[in-house]
Amino acid sequence: MAIEIGLKEEQVMLKKMARDFLATETPKTFVRQMMADEVGHSPEKWRKMAELGWQGLVFPEQYGGSAMTFRDLTILCEEMGRAVMPGPFYSTVVLVGLPLLDFGTESQKKEFLPKIASGDMVCTLAVLEESGDLWADDLHLKAQKRGNEYVLTGNKLFVTDAKAADYMLVVARTRRTENPEDGITLFMVNAREWGIWIENMVVMDQTRKQYEVRFTNVPVSSANIIGELHGGWKILQQIALKASAALAAEMVGVGEQAMEMTVAYLKDRKQFDVVIGTFQALKHRAADMLIAMEYSRSLMEWAAECVKENHDDVAMAVAMAKSYCGDSLKFVTDSGVQLHGGIGFT
Amino acid sequence: MVSREKDKLEALRQEVRAFLSKNLPEKWGTPAYKAPEPGSPEAINLSKTFTKKLYDAGYTGFGVPAQYGGVERPPEERNIIRTELLRQGFPLPFVGLGRLVVDTLLQWGTEEQKKRFIPSILNGQVHWIEGFSEPNAGSDLAGVQTMGVKDGDEWVINGQKCWTSGWDYGEWGFLLCKTSTTAPRHRNLSFFLFDCSTKGFSRRPLRQMTGEPHAQYGELFFDDMRIPKDQIVGEEGRGWYVAMTTLIAERGGGQVGAAAGEAGLMGRMVRSLGGVDDLIELAKKTKRYGQSVWDDATFRRRIAQFAIENEAQRAYGVRLGMMIRNRTASGNEASMTKVTRTEQGKRMGDMACEMIGAYSQLVRGDERAIEEGDLVFNMLMSRGTTIYMGTSEICRNILSERILGLPRG
Repeated sequence: MAIEIGLKEEQVMLKKMARDFLATETPKTFVRQMMADEVGHSPEKWRKMAELGWQGLVFPEQYGGSAMTFRDLTILCEEMGRAVMPGPFYSTVVLVGLPLLDFGTESQKKEFLPKIASGDMVCTLAVLEESGDLWADDLHLKAQKRGNEYVLTGNKLFVTDAKAADYMLVVARTRRTENPEDGITLFMVNAREWGIWIENMVVMDQTRKQYEVRFTNVPVSSANIIGELHGGWKILQQIALKASAALAAEMVGVGEQAMEMTVAYLKDRKQFDVVIGTFQALKHRAADMLIAMEYSRSLMEWAAECVKENHDDVAMAVAMAKSYCGDSLKFVTDSGVQLHGGIGFT
Repeated sequence: MVSREKDKLEALRQEVRAFLSKNLPEKWGTPAYKAPEPGSPEAINLSKTFTKKLYDAGYTGFGVPAQYGGVERPPEERNIIRTELLRQGFPLPFVGLGRLVVDTLLQWGTEEQKKRFIPSILNGQVHWIEGFSEPNAGSDLAGVQTMGVKDGDEWVINGQKCWTSGWDYGEWGFLLCKTSTTAPRHRNLSFFLFDCSTKGFSRRPLRQMTGEPHAQYGELFFDDMRIPKDQIVGEEGRGWYVAMTTLIAERGGGQVGAAAGEAGLMGRMVRSLGGVDDLIELAKKTKRYGQSVWDDATFRRRIAQFAIENEAQRAYGVRLGMMIRNRTASGNEASMTKVTRTEQGKRMGDMACEMIGAYSQLVRGDERAIEEGDLVFNMLMSRGTTIYMGTSEICRNILSERILGLPRG
């Protein structure tokens, strides 16, 4: 129903493979099981995904990857959204793997990327603090230099998949000047270090767990600084850009699935002795859902292409896609609930 | 190899630019340029001359096989030509509703009809009008009452059509009428082409809510008008299906439009009513309550939302064009952009009026009217857009039934 175009043959295959794999390996029963689980991560499924080459999809071959593109990665994100796949893929690959690839030194890439690709390492990004905003002035977690290492102290909130993570990319403040964007530094921190304390936040979406992470005098080597000392803010912006494009792809997957389920229900459910899909009030809503999703897909694909090509318009394209896909997803899922009637909210 | 390809495209770009600077009307694109009144003989003459030149240069006529006068060029070249034409503010070839006839004939016409009618449409020399809607058959198009009766080698037509754009300058027309009183609905109609100079054909203007002196829409009357039998398109009784091709093309889902890079862009007309850039400019120069409207975050966000919607429609148009060319889309998808462009156009018109406050009451003719009343005129004009070519409601029916597969009520 939703029409795929502009996909090359291998992308069509990737999409089909992903859909088949997720249908078999992460069906609704599995999703519910993971939602009820405190960590929400299945090492068994994680390994299977690594065998398919998903975690290392965009890494060059010398780091154990398949050297595919960001656009290919968004195809996976779409399908994961469609399956509401739980687990730390987005945290590991999008939030940490991509910045390591873009900004890591050769030795950092050699150290981390092959382990991510092989499924031996789960990562996440610890960035937001009490304000909940990605706003430089609100980032306080302190990293103090002590010899050849830094010591981290402070709190992070809304950290996705922290309990599953082996390493965290931690956004810390290494100095405070008049410009709040200066003095932000990113560290790859072993999540098993003494002094790290993790507690669940009770979030609505249990397919993507979030945690409070407290750091008390946590040591990290200067060799684990990603990018430049004090120069982390521009890396964060790049992370936000790619993460937004990947989220847009997820949203397209979720939304199309919700729309297809709703349309199927409209063709099935009978009231007043007729199929409710004959009622124009409902058909017109369904038509608007179709428009919302087709336009979302168009903007998302364009944004993903812009990221892949590092096009001049990339910031604008991603912002538009994220904004439009988000609004559309709310409209489509809310309409899905409404059109399902009583079983929509029970 | 790659660079030779690039050089070739760059050369084409320069060629198109040179062509335009030589052939566009004097002062085009400057405030000093005075466009002729739309629909006036001067405007028609200008469009014919310019389109002919474009066609002769090979800059229009895409998506049609060469034996019917089509121009074949690879997509990259078409894209460059289109971009350069757009850069000059839309001096696109004006073939009007004739383009619908091209799509319709390519699918349903006889060899003779294709050779006879398509070339003079592509080069802009013959303008066409549409005889679909009637006073009692608008959204329910299959209920047309205009009647065609066979008489020897001819059909005799009696009835009335309305809301016809280009009613006054059309030289040829196409017509959907009933040709059977007994056949079931949708199988009782036939599709004809007719010469507007035929005896028994007459027309008159309709006034519209913008109050402009030159009527864009008119009514057509058929009083024993005779059409030779070789001007029926498709089989007798199959006119409904022929008309569907025409309507899909009209909403921007046709093969020819897709080839020209205009899939889903029926909004050319809508866009001419004012775009995001116009809103930004208006916001910047309008002062309310002591501050520039552009400094009002509420207005700015709403303008940004329009920009996002524009980009969504553009990106979808590109995808749809590819799908139509690959034949992985039926063309009914274009109803999406028909709905959104027109509904958006109304909201944009409303917003422009909101910005100018009390002045939004002043229409053309008042010396204080903002932009000589154009803003208000466009706001009123936009009201028609969600009605013509299939109302927003009919378009949503099409989407839900033909794309999503929901049942008819």
